[in-house]
Order: sequence, then C-alpha cells, then structure tokens
Amino acid sequence: MIGLTSAFGAAGVPFAATPFIASWNPSAKAKAAGAPVKVDVTKIDPGQQITVGWRKQPVFVIRHSQEAINNLESNIAKLADPNSEAIDEPYRNMNPTRSKSPEYTVLVGVCTHLGCSPKFFPEVEPQSWDASWSGGYFCPCHGSMFDLVGRVFKGVPAPTNMKVPPHNFNGNILTIGEDEEMS
Amino acid sequence: MSDNVTKVFNWVNHRLPIQNTYERHLSKHPVPKKVNFWYLFGALAAVVLIIQIVSGIWLIMLYTPGEAAFSSIEYMMRDVDYGWAIRYMHTTGASMFFAVVYLHMFRGLLYGSYQKPKELVWIFGCTIYLAMMAEGFLGYVLPYGQMSYWGAQVIISLFGALPYIGESLELWIRGDYYISDITVNRFFALHVVALPLVLIALVFLHLIALHEVGAGNPEGVDIEAYTDEDGVPLDSVPFFPYKVLNALVGIGVFMTVFAIIMFFFPEGGGYFIEYANYEEANPLVTPAHIAPVWYYSPYYSILRAVPDKLGGFAAMGAAVAIFFVVPWLDRSKVASIRYKGILSKIALVMFGMSFLTLGYLGTVSVTEHRKTMGIICTFIYFSYFLLMPVYTSIEKTKPVPDRL
Amino acid sequence: MNIKNIFSINLKWIRAFLLLFVSFTYIDLEAAEEAPCKDYGECDEFKHSLKDMSSLQSGASTFLTYCYGCHSLEYSRWNRIANDLQIPEEIFFDNLVFDPSIKPGDLMAGSMSKEESAKWFGVAPPDLTLVTRLHGSDWVYTYLRTFYEDSSKQYGVNNLVYPGAAMPNVLAALQGNQQLACKQVPVIAKNGGEKRDNSGNPITKEKCGFLSIEEGTGSLNQEEFDELIYDLTNFLTYVGDPDKVERERIGWYVVFFFIIFTTLSSLLHREYQKDYH
Repeated sequence: MIGLTSAFGAAGVPFAATPFIASWNPSAKAKAAGAPVKVDVTKIDPGQQITVGWRKQPVFVIRHSQEAINNLESNIAKLADPNSEAIDEPYRNMNPTRSKSPEYTVLVGVCTHLGCSPKFFPEVEPQSWDASWSGGYFCPCHGSMFDLVGRVFKGVPAPTNMKVPPHNFNGNILTIGEDEEMS
Repeated sequence: MSDNVTKVFNWVNHRLPIQNTYERHLSKHPVPKKVNFWYLFGALAAVVLIIQIVSGIWLIMLYTPGEAAFSSIEYMMRDVDYGWAIRYMHTTGASMFFAVVYLHMFRGLLYGSYQKPKELVWIFGCTIYLAMMAEGFLGYVLPYGQMSYWGAQVIISLFGALPYIGESLELWIRGDYYISDITVNRFFALHVVALPLVLIALVFLHLIALHEVGAGNPEGVDIEAYTDEDGVPLDSVPFFPYKVLNALVGIGVFMTVFAIIMFFFPEGGGYFIEYANYEEANPLVTPAHIAPVWYYSPYYSILRAVPDKLGGFAAMGAAVAIFFVVPWLDRSKVASIRYKGILSKIALVMFGMSFLTLGYLGTVSVTEHRKTMGIICTFIYFSYFLLMPVYTSIEKTKPVPDRL
Repeated sequence: MNIKNIFSINLKWIRAFLLLFVSFTYIDLEAAEEAPCKDYGECDEFKHSLKDMSSLQSGASTFLTYCYGCHSLEYSRWNRIANDLQIPEEIFFDNLVFDPSIKPGDLMAGSMSKEESAKWFGVAPPDLTLVTRLHGSDWVYTYLRTFYEDSSKQYGVNNLVYPGAAMPNVLAALQGNQQLACKQVPVIAKNGGEKRDNSGNPITKEKCGFLSIEEGTGSLNQEEFDELIYDLTNFLTYVGDPDKVERERIGWYVVFFFIIFTTLSSLLHREYQKDYH
C-alpha cells in the first residue's frame, strides 16, 4: 500500500512539471518572427561579402570572383568534409558554391562550434592563425576556420560545415528563408 | 525594565532555541586559536554574499528586463541618484566574490580542508561554487550588451554539443531563435530568485556541516584530541569575540580594497566590466575579440584547448566536476602542505601556475603558440588531480605535532 | 600566525613559479596582436581633465555644432550637461541648443531619426554617449585626427584608426586637407642601430603612411586643432562617465573610513589576543 501510494504520487510529478518545462519552448510570437528576406545581390562587388539579418541571425552572401571559384579545389586536403556529407544539405551537388547560383554563396553566418559569427578574410595571405591562408572565414572566439564557401577545416573545434539556409534566386533578387522548389 | 526584557526573552527562548543556537554556533563555538590569513576568506565570502544580495535587491528596483534592458542600465547610471553606486557595488562584488572564493578553495587544497571528516563541507562548497558560476553567467547576460549576448550565445551553444538532444535543448533554453528579450526575462527570474535561494540554502548547509566537524588549521592538527573537562578543545578560543575580531581586521582590509576598486577602477581595466559591453547587443556582429569575464577564463581556455565540440565541453565540465572527488583522491596521511612531501608541493605549484596561465590565455585571442600553451596547461591541470592518489601515497611525509 | 614561517618554506617554490610564469608570458608577447588603433598603430595618449570647465564647455560647443547633427547622446539629458559644465541654463539653451521645442530635461536623442540617417549614410551614425567607454578616450582622440583624403571612398576621406569609416571629415575646414605622405626614414639594422653606408651616411628607405596637412587649407593650425579635439574628447569622456569626479571624491572618504576601521579593529584584536597568547 505504501508502495502503491508512492508510485501513484510519483506518477503525478511529470504531469506537474509539464507546464514549467513546456513554457520554456519558443512561443507562438517567437516562431512567427522568422519571415523571409529579399536582397539585390548585384550590389555586391566581386570578392566581397554582405551580412543580412534573417531570424535575427547573420546570413552571409558572398559574390565570388572567378579566380576564387577556381581556387576552391586547391585546398580540399585541408577540409574535413569537402562534400558536406556530414550535414543535411539540399544544395550539395548543384554548384561548387554550395548554393543555387554559380557565383554567389549563401551561408548562415554562425560558427557551428559555439555560435559566434566568423569574420571574412578573403585575401590569400599569411595570417597569425594560419601561415598558408587561402581566403575564408576565421572565428575569433575559438579559432575555427572555414573556406570561402563555409566548409570547415580539419583540426578545428567546429564539427561541421557552415549551414546553407533555404534560398532562391530570382534574377537579381535573392530570397533567404524560403525555397519553394526544394521544400 | 531589564526584568521585563528577561521575561520576554525567556518566553521566546522556551519556544525558539535562540540562546542555544547562539551559543552553539556563535558565542561559544570553539575555533582553533592559531590560524593564518588563509582562514579569513570564508568570512569574506559571507560578507560579499550579503553585499550582493542587498545591492541586488536595489538593482531590481532600477533594472528593466527585456528590450529596454540596455537602456535601463544607462538610466540607473545617470538618472538615478547614486544609481552608479548600487550598480558598481554589484559588479565589483561579483568579481570580488570569485576572487575570495578562489582563494578560499586554494586554502582548501593547501591545508587539506577536504580530508576526513570534512568531505561534506567540501562538497557543499563545490556545489556553492557551481551555483555561483551559473549565477554569475545569468547576471552577466542581463545588461544585454555585446559581451552579454555573445557570451550567452557561446555558453548556450555548449549544450548543443550534446548528442541527439543538443539542438532542441539550445532552443528550449533560449525560448527563441536568438537570445532575445524572452531569454533575458527568464534569466532575470533565475538570477534574482531561483539561484539566490539555492545559494543561501547551500551556504547554510556548508556552515552547519562545518560546525559539526569543526574548523581546520594550517598545521592539520586535530584539536579535538586534547580537551578540558567540559569537552572544549584546549587549543581553541570561543568564536565570539576572538574569531570575530580577527575576521573584522580581514574585513577592514578587504573593504578597503573593495572601495578602491568600486570608486576608482570599477571597470578593472576591462576585466571586471568588459569594454565591449558598452555597446548594445547586436545579433549580426560578433566583436573581434570575445573573452569571458576573468573568473571563467581558465575553463574557457580548457574548452579552447580541445579541438572538438563535444570533447571541449566535456573537458570543461570535468575540470569543474573533478573538485568534487578531491577528498577521495588525496591518500596522504597528513592534511597540511607543511607536512606533506616534496611531490605534493611541486604538484600544487604546477597546478596554481597552470590555472593562472589558463586564466590569462582565456582573455586573449588564439594563436598557434597560445594554443599549444593551452594544451600543456590543461594537461597539467588534470594531472594535478588524476595523479594525486599516486604522489600522495608514495611521498614521505613529516610527522604532525600533537598540539597547535 | 607566523607569516615569516610560511614564506621561508615556500619561497623557493614561489620564486620558481614566478620565473616560469614570467617566461611563459614573455614568449607570448611575441605573438602579433592587432594594434588598438589599426593602421595608425598605438593610439595617441589622452589624459582627461574632467575638472577643467572651460575645456569641457568648448568640447560641448564643438560637439553640438559639428557632431550633434548626426550623432545623438541618447542617454544624456540637456540640463544635466548644462549643470555639470556650469553653464547657466538660459545661456546654454540660447546659444547651443538650436531647437526651441526641446525641454531642459529631455534626452539628447539626436536631430535625425534613425531610419532617415540610415538612408543617408548607409548605416545609422552610432550614438556617442558611451563611445569613450567602448573604444577608450585614446582611441577617440586619435580617430578624430587621422582622417586623410582618399578619393576611392564615398566621402572622399578614409581613416587610419578605423579604415573604411563611413563618415565624412566634418572638421576638414578647420584641420585642412590631410593626406598620406611618404618620407625617407633611416633603415634600422638588426642590432637596433641605424644602418650606414661606407662613407658613414645613414641609409634611408621610403616609408609611406605618414599624415601631412596641406598648409593654409585649414582655419586652425595643427596645435589649435589638436586642442579642439582634446576638448571634444574630454567632453565625450565626461559624457561617458558623468559621475566620475563625484565618485572619486566620495571614494576618498570611503577608503579613508575603512583604513581607520582596519586600524581600530586590529588594535582591538591585538588587545584581545593577549588572552590566549
């Protein structure tokens, strides 16, 4: 009888805990705030990057020079996952840029390690963190490195490539946060 | 008149053990008569706790969580009479709390304050330290400056390292897709109500357990071995007034330092209040150089030393968790470093050095050289604990005297 | 409480520890850290003088004339500045505040809306209430003096401290046209001395990146301009931490109180210690 009473009482605990735990989930208001954003990509100079806010997260849009695209293959030996096989990525085999466009790359600008926003260092020049730097992203927080299309280097704390958000190109206009063809 | 006072006192005393508690824990509580300055930091921690609670209550009156968080800080700093004093008291208190607790913990390692029968005192102490780290982190997010934001981003993302549940756990903690007013509101509730309650309860347990087994001394002598006919240890003095007066001197020196920081160097050169936190949080831009506040930086370095997400998180957690098992790692027959062998001395110095170096490395940016140093120091840090059962049992100890 | 005893036991260890730690840190110094003032290198040192009312007043006047058009001081109030800087309110509002709708207790929220200015400049000009606390006064003092002509930029100027700054040099008429120039500098040998050729003349090389002002193009000479920027930075330092002077004044009393308190309690402690020593 003691056992039964205790067991029955204990069974109530998860029910009582439910509202306290569930109220920490994102509210309907927070969920509704993630509308897609549109940008005119021709305003970006070749070799440059702009940052766009989507869901209050930075999204990087990079316009590559032809030279940079040709160079992408050259440092594959440094990369941990050159074909983005470790992550769920719908844009995997479309372009070397990992996007729907052969010229632009679209990345969620958040390091897959601990969420800092990596910095863009496009130049091929020695850096204090890597003497044979060939352009890409360096995270100031914990030193993770990515190449120009957000693929992670070997031996850095970040486990996976940077994410590519759902996106679509319509002429000059890039829509971030929505991709009708893919979904 | 005094008759009536006595009557009232007796009436209460029969219903509430005032006199008994007062004598047992304060006036007649025996403490070792010979201790050094290392034994003051416990009392100082209690003083800072009180400062933090009082200044914190006043800060709640001035602070607005949510979207107005950042501007409410500037409001209290400028528009409220002496608002700056309340806030700087709290920010200085936060750093001083950790400084005092680190010294208090080092005292424990120095004089074996965790050895039988003080294991529980030590464990409650470690739990207090853990709760303080959480409390400090939550409080640091509240001003919603750049460092608040990105510090929180990093710490919350740590949970993302856990397999399977990681990402949804992160989202659950934030309650939003970024660290928004929703996150700040819940952190505020935890910082001002939930964790202070836990902290106070733990401090209470820490003291009760301490008074049960008695305070230690730098010689590691068991003063209970020689007592007078009333059972009072011969090498002890009553807490009041002797220990209180001793503590008062320490408090005086401590408060002088506290006041110098609070009134003249409240930012502590960017270590107590980081300069980047004078800019409101911007989810799109990480500051070029992000570093945790100084009291977390050793653990941050350990995190950085491991080039793997889950591994780094695990190493950082282990670095804190390992303190809990120290009572069972130390196999030495003696408590105090004064009578331990040369190996223990070397180990402790190496540990102190690696801890400080890790602390320094956590505040600067990463380079190749610093990465290597971080790995070496992480290695030394863990060796101190993991090799403890070996070096404490093989080394030759000196005989401990009978009396203080 | 035998302090001497503790030290004699551990002195050897403390010494070894310090030596190792210092050598660790020293190796570290060689790692390249980005200079705080970027292309300019180390910032010029700025020493504030928050009790110099005429400097603060002139800084406030410069700020309201040249900067306030775009930059707000949104956490600061008009009358607080007038009071702290000892400017009578009528004079302050008649001469420095141009908008008659402003009430004395208002926040200095700027004369442009954030959206409007973002449209004009691409980014909204930042609020400057806390600029000296964020970047430091040294940085602000150096930044304002290191604009140079660069026709490739939107406003025809660039800045050494903040390369790519999206801000025109509004003080150019006072400072004059500043350009980056090159000059001959002595070549430094590996041993630290100047390199010389066989006949003993110093060998020089051309080095660029020096600031030089075209003479006669500004209404102030360099000294006057530096002073103007000094006052402006001094004012911004005050705005960043308006209670600093008052806080430090009170601080002396508090520190003094605790020193006396410590002295008294240690005398009392010594008295009581006699009971058991």
